[in-house]
Amino acid sequence: MSDTPTRDDDQTQQPDSPQPAAEAPARASYTDQQKYQIFNKEFMPHIDSMYNFAFRLTMDEDDANDLVQDTYLKAFRFISSFEQGTNAKAWLFRILKNSFINDYRKKSKEPAKVDYQDVETTYNSEDAETEHTVDLRAETVSDLIGDEVATALNSLPVDFRTVIILCDIEGFTYEEMAKILDIPIGTVRSRLHRARNLLKEKLRDYASSMGYDEESDE
Amino acid sequence: MQTSLPSSSSSTDKPGMKHECGHRADCLKMIQLIVDGEATEQQLARLKDNLETCRPCIEMYHLEREVKELLTKRMEKKCCPDQLIATIKSKILTFS
Repeated sequence: MSDTPTRDDDQTQQPDSPQPAAEAPARASYTDQQKYQIFNKEFMPHIDSMYNFAFRLTMDEDDANDLVQDTYLKAFRFISSFEQGTNAKAWLFRILKNSFINDYRKKSKEPAKVDYQDVETTYNSEDAETEHTVDLRAETVSDLIGDEVATALNSLPVDFRTVIILCDIEGFTYEEMAKILDIPIGTVRSRLHRARNLLKEKLRDYASSMGYDEESDE
Repeated sequence: MQTSLPSSSSSTDKPGMKHECGHRADCLKMIQLIVDGEATEQQLARLKDNLETCRPCIEMYHLEREVKELLTKRMEKKCCPDQLIATIKSKILTFS
């Protein structure tokens, strides 16, 4: 809250700005008071969603803590590239996603990570395209509980997990997801489609291992 | 085909109900758009037709809705610890 405007020298030129430098828009010049106001009124209300997103990505509470903290500090530092009245939640999620990719994914504890490209290639292959519907009944799914779906979700490669979290858990539109992930909307659609097929396979495997999918009329 | 006996899950099938769908993969993509609220009017109208006449589409639709609901409603939502909120708020005060 001091009125010494010294932020220019070391903070505005960081390479990890939430906006690529090339597209940095006309930066708003907010007073300190406005910055705190935006931060508290537009950013803080999303902190639970942000934490949940961070936890689902990292699958670890300490990492989620660090990731959320880094994201919020970055958001404050680069607040002048946030345009008031635009979608703060999507803006924050984008920063968090980028921080995750840059800082956490490398050291993430994911076991034997499947390369996304590999998976995408597999699912683009012809036999996957001909008929890829998973044999799973709605009634079986309705017997599953949250922990079981969390386990299934966590077993997906992170790019697939991400689209499901954004769409189904956080309720973003495809257009918002395209912006958060920096991918075309068609890719959002197809990645989501594949992610759900994978998830259903996991749920089916789980259900059959537990004997949930026995035929039963009620 | 229209004389096939209703199975346990299709006991209310009307006569004329299709039990095979020739384009399940395409239908599934459309169904997901609808479940996500991203379908066009035209796609909605097409699904409405299918949901009266195509048993596999009906089943896919129920499954997709059920999976979505599982994710939306039954997964635990982690809340941000109060301690972290306090830390963030105090850190930004030292910024400007």
